[in-house]
Amino acid sequence: MARGLTPTRRTAIPHDRAIAVAWILLLGLVGFCVANPFVAAAGPTLVVVSPADGTVVGNGTPITVDFLVSNFVLAQPGRVGQIGSPTEGHVDVYVDGAYTWMATQVEPIVLPLASGPHTILLRLVMDNGTALTPDVSASVRVVATHGPAAGIPTIAIVSPRPGQLTGHDVYVSVEVSNFTFVDAHGQPNAPNEGHVELFLAGVLRQDLSRYDTGFLVDLPDGNNTITARLVNNDHTPLTPDVSASVTITVKGASVSVLSETMSGGIALLLAAILVVLLIRRRKALARIAKERNPKP
Amino acid sequence: MNARTLACVCATMGLILVSGSAASNARAASPPTLSIVSPANNAVIGNGSPVAVVFVASNFNLTAPGTGSSSPNAGHVEVSVDGSWTSHVSVNAFRLSLASGPHTILLRLVMDNGTGLTPDVAQFVSVTVTRGPAAGPPGLSIAFPKEDAVLGTDLYVSYRVVNFVLVPPGGPAAPNEGHIHVLVDGAFFQELTDYQPVHLGLPDGPHNVTLQLVDSLHGPLSPDVSASAHFTVRALVGRVILVDFTTYFGVTNVGLAFAIIALMYRKLEA
Repeated sequence: MARGLTPTRRTAIPHDRAIAVAWILLLGLVGFCVANPFVAAAGPTLVVVSPADGTVVGNGTPITVDFLVSNFVLAQPGRVGQIGSPTEGHVDVYVDGAYTWMATQVEPIVLPLASGPHTILLRLVMDNGTALTPDVSASVRVVATHGPAAGIPTIAIVSPRPGQLTGHDVYVSVEVSNFTFVDAHGQPNAPNEGHVELFLAGVLRQDLSRYDTGFLVDLPDGNNTITARLVNNDHTPLTPDVSASVTITVKGASVSVLSETMSGGIALLLAAILVVLLIRRRKALARIAKERNPKP
Repeated sequence: MNARTLACVCATMGLILVSGSAASNARAASPPTLSIVSPANNAVIGNGSPVAVVFVASNFNLTAPGTGSSSPNAGHVEVSVDGSWTSHVSVNAFRLSLASGPHTILLRLVMDNGTGLTPDVAQFVSVTVTRGPAAGPPGLSIAFPKEDAVLGTDLYVSYRVVNFVLVPPGGPAAPNEGHIHVLVDGAFFQELTDYQPVHLGLPDGPHNVTLQLVDSLHGPLSPDVSASAHFTVRALVGRVILVDFTTYFGVTNVGLAFAIIALMYRKLEA
């Protein structure tokens, strides 16, 4: 019996070992999968497709954000029987740190933004609004402007012409390109938008917030230099400076000073009185002389 | 395992199943709720932007009107602004274009056929819309003329405004929007509802002009925001006068006056 058992033991021992090794390998594989989430399941991702980072959105148009989500199901939060899951939820949208929008579908998000730079942040959140762990978000920086998105601003003074002889009041017409006039009320600067400042001899005289004609009054006689400059919303010059100047000659009608006229008139009156008095005095003297020396 | 033990196990399992089913039913029967995530109550919406409203309804399926069954757990949201029905929505975020001033936005869950839930499920939020910026203290300064300037009769006053938008008066008062009152020598002169310079024609002498920001109801802001400039008007300032005989005429006048007096005195003596 002992002999007969020996071969059986010899064959059984390797079989048990193989099973044990298989179990160890299986457990190891399961452990590896549990420990490595990339193998278990790829995590949710979020990508902003457009606009590109740093994009300038011109002409005051709203900004359209296109995004893509993977390994994550967008759904209306609070649905009946909904069970929270880290792979289901919605997208919270923040503009400059302020909560702005909720996207429950992968569709373009339209954001009307004021002029200036903005940061748009999209974040995946679960149905109850809590962020995923780790956080899954994507942000993009854009610049909104009422002006054109591209192009170099220019300005030229159309009227008056250089060297023109004018009166004391002058209309100033400018021609501007690649630049949009907006009211300056303290809003942030934005590319290719702002207003025009008119300077006389380097002194600011007028702001033009509209594409309109400027009117400078009471210009002094002589040569005057008028400068028109494009400026940002905070009144600072563009970089590089965009301005145009023209020198004109102001020559009004001959001026009669009121005090001069009055003084001259009084002098004339006094002179007349003096002449009359002198004549009368001479006549009186002649009459007296005649009375003292009567003719025989 | 004898029969008694088997009966106990079955009874325990039955109790567990019954209690689980009851709990499940309790969860399913949770009433719908509604909460407004954005905007915050009393938020100021600046730049005349439309108001983005984000809400969350729980235990309630949002469906487009006419596409679902009329159940108390499905339907859409009715939107009312200042007590007037405005729209119905079936998505969690939407925009409202509102005029300047304070507004109350009311959201109400309704069934697909438009009838309200029982009990009513609604939430409201108060916001203020302004065409001006949502934040920042308003400011005003006079760019021209400079203080103590000497100017001609005809002049323009240029000014600068920050954190404030000029709009025609008449609407409800809203933050950071309104117009400018112009006072010349302390007397009301003009209203500015646009970014245009002030044209003045003043007699010779010292003058002052004051600009004051006011709301759409003509009331001054709190705190008051105004700017003043003092200047002197002198006609013909800057005009070139080739020869001014005023002084010479003055001296001549004095001489002539003396001569006349002397002549009259001598005449009296004579």
